Amino acid sequence: MRIAFTPEQQAFRATCRVWLGENVPAEPRPLDALDALPFDTAWQRRLFDAGWAGINWPREYGGRGLSLIEQVIWLEEYARANAPWIGANFVGVNHGGPTLIANASEEQKAFHLPRILKGEAIWCQGFSEPGAGSDLAAIRTTGRIEGDHLIVNGSKIWTSFAHVADWQELVLRTEPGSQRHAGLSWVICDMHAPGITVRPIRKINGQTEFCEVFYDDVRVPLGNVVGGLGNGWKVAMSTLGFERGTGFIADQVRIGIEVDELIATARASGAIANQAIAGDLALLRAEVAALRAMTYRNISEAARTGQPGAESSLIRLFTSELNQRVDRMAVDLLGDDIIDFAYGDPGPVSEYLRGFAHTIAGGTAQVQRNIIGERLLGLPRGR
Amino acid sequence: MDLHPGDEIETLRSATAEWLAGRLPLAAARRSPPGLWDELEAMGWPVMTLAEDRGGLALDHASEAVVFAELGRHLAPLAMVATAVARRWTLLPAKCALAIPAGDGALRALDPEGADVALVARADELATVEISPGPARATIDLTTLQARVPGAPGAPIAGQKAVLHLRLLLAAYALGAADAARDMAVDYAKLRVQFGQPIGAFQAIKHICADMAVGCAVARSQLYYAACALGEDAADAAFHVLAAHMLALRAALANGRANIQVHGGIGMTDEAQAHLPLKRAHLLGRIIPPGAGILLG
Repeated sequence: MRIAFTPEQQAFRATCRVWLGENVPAEPRPLDALDALPFDTAWQRRLFDAGWAGINWPREYGGRGLSLIEQVIWLEEYARANAPWIGANFVGVNHGGPTLIANASEEQKAFHLPRILKGEAIWCQGFSEPGAGSDLAAIRTTGRIEGDHLIVNGSKIWTSFAHVADWQELVLRTEPGSQRHAGLSWVICDMHAPGITVRPIRKINGQTEFCEVFYDDVRVPLGNVVGGLGNGWKVAMSTLGFERGTGFIADQVRIGIEVDELIATARASGAIANQAIAGDLALLRAEVAALRAMTYRNISEAARTGQPGAESSLIRLFTSELNQRVDRMAVDLLGDDIIDFAYGDPGPVSEYLRGFAHTIAGGTAQVQRNIIGERLLGLPRGR
Repeated sequence: MDLHPGDEIETLRSATAEWLAGRLPLAAARRSPPGLWDELEAMGWPVMTLAEDRGGLALDHASEAVVFAELGRHLAPLAMVATAVARRWTLLPAKCALAIPAGDGALRALDPEGADVALVARADELATVEISPGPARATIDLTTLQARVPGAPGAPIAGQKAVLHLRLLLAAYALGAADAARDMAVDYAKLRVQFGQPIGAFQAIKHICADMAVGCAVARSQLYYAACALGEDAADAAFHVLAAHMLALRAALANGRANIQVHGGIGMTDEAQAHLPLKRAHLLGRIIPPGAGILLG
């Protein structure tokens, strides 16, 4: 085992650092999705023009085709340079695109992939429903086959960026009467099609980023089905591994920087003289280090086997809760200033409130613990 | 960068685990089998990182940390940690007890049987002292005895690296205790039936076990990173070793407690083994506990 990077990898790091240093926008990314859209689009285009869009996408689809370790290096430098979150392009670049690469026809790929990488098409995800949250297989939105179209009815919720999106990766029930994981299909839905209504939802921090989407006899061409009718569950699951591999690395570096800033704040205010606060900050710093070590271990295993490591679910749970501990510490150090928080204020209170999503989105912390207990530790399933 | 142990270390680890399962099963951890120390010596564990020309195996700290985590999982003698450090940084050939200041100027020599020297653990500098321990008495850790010996300045071991080496191996032992507690709890949760099903099917129990697994994974990852940082003379090696030490101790204590809870009534009995990892964790927690200072940078 070793932690040092090879001279080639160090040279690659220097390349990343130079480009990011010269290109990261000076102005901060606007908080609200609508305000942020031009910013997100411009940043994606700049990444694309320099060949940094889709770092993990194969070269044949316009990506950079980086190895896992090179992805780690890029994402570490990305966070260190305080480069902005890719925002509205997140779903297309990190989820919809990779799903298309793994499952779509050449025609579908040829149309959509370049538009995603250039930031010309915004994607959103239509998985969760009011009645299908952690229990995703309870999906009830239907697609009835009529000629060469699916007629879609139902609703989706927690759809980030739906109000600015052009396309949606939509999972719906295309076999009438089917249950659970069977009879689902993964389709590309045009968000500008007639019959779609989008209702933005305001979060507890005042931010409007996700939405509820209603479908009233929306016509989706059968040619937009990806991976074949009835195979939706398999297609949807095919890229979840990404989120558990390198998906969190930029986040991890960012919380490390945040913890260091909190320590500096506590020093400046004198709060660090409080032994409990000093102890908590020291522990957070140790935990951030351990999170990087966990990710390195996981990536090292994946680099050997081609699969995300067995401990991915542990990393995911630990990351989500560590994020929240850091958010809470930031708010604790604010003292009375928390009283002055109002919707629209950026900063620690907004992040703290927004951060409750860490242990809810994409499977709650409780579901994660079930997965760890059953799949990793071999404990029996509850009945 | 590669934090995967790889085939060589894995072979070493599984051979260690196999030997320990036969010779030092947890069920017998309280009564050290006669002649154990000589067998441990013969396995080469106290000289893993010692140079070949001095009779060592010339392995790196990463290999050593992985193997010591296995030793820790079986609550192997604490003197193994002290001896490995003393042998690496001095020329002492013998079994070495692990001593900590007792507050009244004397030393508590831990695991002193058959040792006429002790490694004194202090956060700033290690030293070795000669000891002639009287009759040993119990510690909270039922696998470790202690003797009170007079304090003496002893022979200092120069350099911070020896202290970090000791912390690394203490962290490995603590991780081992955390692993042992997790495994005992999970095994019991699969076997024990209440309300018509194994208690591990209940989320309340399952989630305790999941948290134990997270604690182990966090501590193990940081241990590997720290071992590499120490071996590669990284500028931030001290930080990473302290972080590993702190996280392993936390995991050992948390898992030790949780293990007793998962065992329920039987966990309250001396006759079961559920209390052993927790008691080892409490003893380890008193040996140069990592403070906030270096971690805050």
